[in-house]
Amino acid sequence: MKILVVDDSEAFRKVMIELLVRVGFHDITEAKDYDEGMQVFRKEKPDISFVDMILPGKSGVELTKSMLSVNHATKIIAMSSIINKKMIREALEAGAKDFLLKPTNEIALNAVLTMWSD
Amino acid sequence: MGLFSRKARAPKADGEKGLGITRKYNIAPGHSYVIEESPPDISFDAFVNIVSTVDTGGKKSIGLAVSRQHSDLIRQKYGLETTSIYWLATRAGQDVISPTNLGILTHTLVQFVEDNPGGIILLDGIEYLVSNNDFNKVLRTIDQVNDHISQSQAIMIIPVDPRAFDQKELALLERNMEKMAASRPKK
Repeated sequence: MKILVVDDSEAFRKVMIELLVRVGFHDITEAKDYDEGMQVFRKEKPDISFVDMILPGKSGVELTKSMLSVNHATKIIAMSSIINKKMIREALEAGAKDFLLKPTNEIALNAVLTMWSD
Repeated sequence: MGLFSRKARAPKADGEKGLGITRKYNIAPGHSYVIEESPPDISFDAFVNIVSTVDTGGKKSIGLAVSRQHSDLIRQKYGLETTSIYWLATRAGQDVISPTNLGILTHTLVQFVEDNPGGIILLDGIEYLVSNNDFNKVLRTIDQVNDHISQSQAIMIIPVDPRAFDQKELALLERNMEKMAASRPKK
């Protein structure tokens, strides 16, 4: 299974990738913003993308919409370090499958991957 | 009416509005959980996830949080609107519990559990309680609340900074509670 992590924090991306490897996923790519996210998304065709909702420039909600317009079968998990209900609602309405609070952990990550990986 | 009863009762809450996300933590009713971590990110994530989602039977859980962090900060960060939040602090004020008054703390938690069967408690700041009281007194408080948790199918989550306790104290804390794994890669 291919996984993409989009977050403007390099430190968070590293932590997230390390966690994903720990729970058994190894085919992981990363991107720092909307443009790079779309570029990697088109090239790698990930099955699941973890997208930070607050990105520099275009938001995670916009990235979610764009990714789904390219591949409506892809699964997107929204992430944020605060629980802003309006933002979560927007992300889910845009097509995100679920939400993860940052910093994330093995238990929550496992639950999401179990729920949404085929 | 004395100070004890005036402050002790948590207001009845309807519960948080659902977020439309999945329940991520396999936490069983009637159990208390210790999570060894610092800061208490996983504990808060589990608590917020449970009060913001429904269980497999479509039932919501009402929550009560006690923390060293001010309730306004917690509400802002975790989007909690209706959950009762008490600040563990020495300052006077509404929704404040003094760390030295374990009686009020016990009463507040027990009353909440009795009023909200199936409710969930987050007890953050146990290190602060221990620094203001004898460890055994804090342990007795937790054990007392734990008895009610088991009876009423409620849940209690207690984050613990393992650096603040010796092995014997940790073992005593975890004696009657489940230990939840909380591994996370180092930054």
